[in-house]
Amino acid sequence: MSLKRITKELNDLGRDPPTSCSAGPVGDDLYHWQASIMGPPDSPYAGGVFFLSIHFPTDYPFKPPKISFTTKIYHPNINANGNICLDILKDQWSPALTISKVLLSICSLLTDANPDDPLVPEIAHIYKTDRSKYEATAKEWTKKYAV
Amino acid sequence: MEIDGNTVLLLFVFLFILYSNPSGDGVTSQYEYIQLQTLKAQYQDEFAQFGNLSHSSNFRNITGLKLSYGDVLRQPDINATYPIQGKDYDHWFTDQNYTLLPEAVSDQVNNEIWATKHNVFPPNVTSTLRGRVVNSHDGFLPMPMPIPEYYEPAQDLIQNRPSLSEPYVADPGDYTGSHNITFDEGEIVMEIISTDSTSSPLEPEKRFHNSQSDKWRFLHLEIHLSDLAENQKHSISTKAIYDIRNGRILAVSESAKFHSLFALPHYMNLKEEDETIYNEVKTLVEEYWNATDFFNTRTMAYLQNSYAAANSRCEFLAFLQLEPWWGYSKEQIKTIDEELVWPLGRRANLSSLPPINVSSGLIYSPDCGVKLHMNNVSGLRHELQIKKMRNVLLLGALLLASQIYLLLRQMHHTNTPSMVNKISYWGLSLMNLVDGALAIIFFYMTSSFAALFQPLIVCSFACLILASVFEMRYMISVYASQANERNVSLFTLLRRSTDGDERTAPAVILDEASISSSLYRSYIFKTFFSMIVILSMTTWPRSLRVPVESFAVFVLNSYWVPQIVRNAIKGNEPRRGTTGNSSRRNQNKPPLLWSFVIGTSVIRFLPAAYAFSVPSNIFYHHQDRPFVALVALWLIFQMAVLYSQDVVGARWFLPNYTIPDGYGYHKAISAGELLEHGSSENYTIDCAICMTDVAVYVEDIPETHKVDQHEYMVTPCGHIFHTGCLENWLSYKLQCPVCRSPLPPL
Repeated sequence: MSLKRITKELNDLGRDPPTSCSAGPVGDDLYHWQASIMGPPDSPYAGGVFFLSIHFPTDYPFKPPKISFTTKIYHPNINANGNICLDILKDQWSPALTISKVLLSICSLLTDANPDDPLVPEIAHIYKTDRSKYEATAKEWTKKYAV
Repeated sequence: MEIDGNTVLLLFVFLFILYSNPSGDGVTSQYEYIQLQTLKAQYQDEFAQFGNLSHSSNFRNITGLKLSYGDVLRQPDINATYPIQGKDYDHWFTDQNYTLLPEAVSDQVNNEIWATKHNVFPPNVTSTLRGRVVNSHDGFLPMPMPIPEYYEPAQDLIQNRPSLSEPYVADPGDYTGSHNITFDEGEIVMEIISTDSTSSPLEPEKRFHNSQSDKWRFLHLEIHLSDLAENQKHSISTKAIYDIRNGRILAVSESAKFHSLFALPHYMNLKEEDETIYNEVKTLVEEYWNATDFFNTRTMAYLQNSYAAANSRCEFLAFLQLEPWWGYSKEQIKTIDEELVWPLGRRANLSSLPPINVSSGLIYSPDCGVKLHMNNVSGLRHELQIKKMRNVLLLGALLLASQIYLLLRQMHHTNTPSMVNKISYWGLSLMNLVDGALAIIFFYMTSSFAALFQPLIVCSFACLILASVFEMRYMISVYASQANERNVSLFTLLRRSTDGDERTAPAVILDEASISSSLYRSYIFKTFFSMIVILSMTTWPRSLRVPVESFAVFVLNSYWVPQIVRNAIKGNEPRRGTTGNSSRRNQNKPPLLWSFVIGTSVIRFLPAAYAFSVPSNIFYHHQDRPFVALVALWLIFQMAVLYSQDVVGARWFLPNYTIPDGYGYHKAISAGELLEHGSSENYTIDCAICMTDVAVYVEDIPETHKVDQHEYMVTPCGHIFHTGCLENWLSYKLQCPVCRSPLPPL
């Protein structure tokens, strides 16, 4: 079941690729994908390309895929290990969600961070109190790691 | 620091509290100081008189012993002030002219009660004896026993000296009130406590050493009397002498009107009138007196308590004859005794040890004129009773452990939300209530049974784990899986649909954290409440306690009823009626494991059956076998209904018209719906779970009528999935994958 659905998603991605992201399997293993997201232009991540790794559980799509950033990124909801704090990847997962929808959600998370439910409280604090400092650091990290 | 008026006042209050605190003997005023000094002087004087007494001379100025039954019989309004005109103080005979006992009572003691002579008796009789007492209603004349006036509390604040005279209470008929024994037949509980190790509170290292412990023992007897309905209760604390060679016990109560300690030698000598016996008992009393510093250690609290006791109850003399331990030699009994106190595995054969039996016993109250006879008073030796209780408790712990095991298996059996959803929350909480209350009661009991600390703690811990970890965990997941049903009416649940305006209500589905905190809160509250109710129930009179207890036991044994109701609401289909693939049959398996149902019923029934039907149970619970049989039948009936629901369907006992059609996931759709969900030309809809096409049965289009409606499912919110896909998802979450609205369970 899971393999069929993953194949179907891969075909759909190839037929109708989303504008700012791409994804595909690493080698022959269809359960392990790599994805990339372009930094949204209206965000401090503009110009950067961020890579993510995707692991599908065997009971996909009933359990959410495990997605993490492999590129370092300065963001209140993403920690140094690349783990993402996003509700649809945890208890709000629904089998009707697809990888392209999840990647789009991550894109919009880059534009609009959620500092009220942070994974890195220090960044969230700077985000709330000194937005320009946050943007400067995010731009600097993007330049350093993602260009 | 600035010192203002308030600070000074506060300081003054502190100093007042500090210095007005009662000192060691509890004296708080000049008046009380004189009271206590008078009491001590009185005791000292009485002890000096006691020292001069011999086996052939009469009591002189000793409180409560100044008059004899004969004196009162001759002159009913006699004044007890010492010395009494014409009283013979120089001789002592055991007839009613000298003793407190009427002729009939002392004859009975001599001829019927203390009849056994020189046999083998256990030297250590620490035990709790239970039996019956019968009031003989002989109509003896109640004797006046005046309370000395210095015992009276001060009338007002100005009075600074107690009156020292001893008024004669002309009318002793004062005791007809509630504190007199008026019942015909009652129950008696006697706690026999050996006081060989009593020590003085002033000098704890100075132990009471009984130099004649092979012949005499000094005992405390707590006697509790009550009528059969437990409306009247009397507790009498007595000091007693145990004659090991003859198996006799003499117990006397003590209060402000009866300084009975000094009476022990004369009354112990009632039968033999032997100088040796008298002198031995006198020595024993003197040893006790000296070791406990008796008159020095009297406190204000003692004075007030004995004044209260004198006012509120009768005085008693109890004469007991123990049944000899036939067939045991003195050496064997010595070995048994040592083995019981320090178990080393000696050859003592403790299991066949006879109980301590009172073969005949008589309680006489001189100031109430009441005579009681004892019937079948017996009990196990304290150490054996403790051993028996320990064994029962360990069995209980074993039962608890197997209950935990069964519950774990049951939790494993229902590991998906749709299975947990079928479990009844109320049935679980009924079990949880009992287990939680038991845990606290076991813990509470450790304070009164120090010898059983370990088994009690084990039971308490097992109960606590069962109730507050496993059962609570299970209840939380059951509650969470049923959260979207909370504000839905029963009728809607029966119809298994969530349509209509009721669906808007459960918009916020609580997460497990807030559910668990609110459940734990109510668990702790319910547990404490039921513990308090159970503990206070033990003191209720029998006429109230027994019906309430029976009702509670019956209700608490109805724990399968909520599950039967739950099954009916969920409307499980009969097991044999199921056709189709294995996943569908899986969805239809009964929510409770049969091993769990039967095991739990047995585990929870056994303790009740033990308490209600074994005559010598450790709870001293009354016997009611028909009731136990009724509870057993009720449990079997519940299990039979559960089984029938499993076999012929969960709703067989409901008439058909009361069962509305439930929500059916499998149904035909209209052409409009087909259009709305964006289907293509071959009348299919995209399944959002597997992303492949679902062929649907459309009412208006005949070409689609070859499609099996069981192949796909339509949610109440109108989304369509493959049957396998949605059933799979519903075992994770009862929520529509597309629009996240709550879904009725399968």
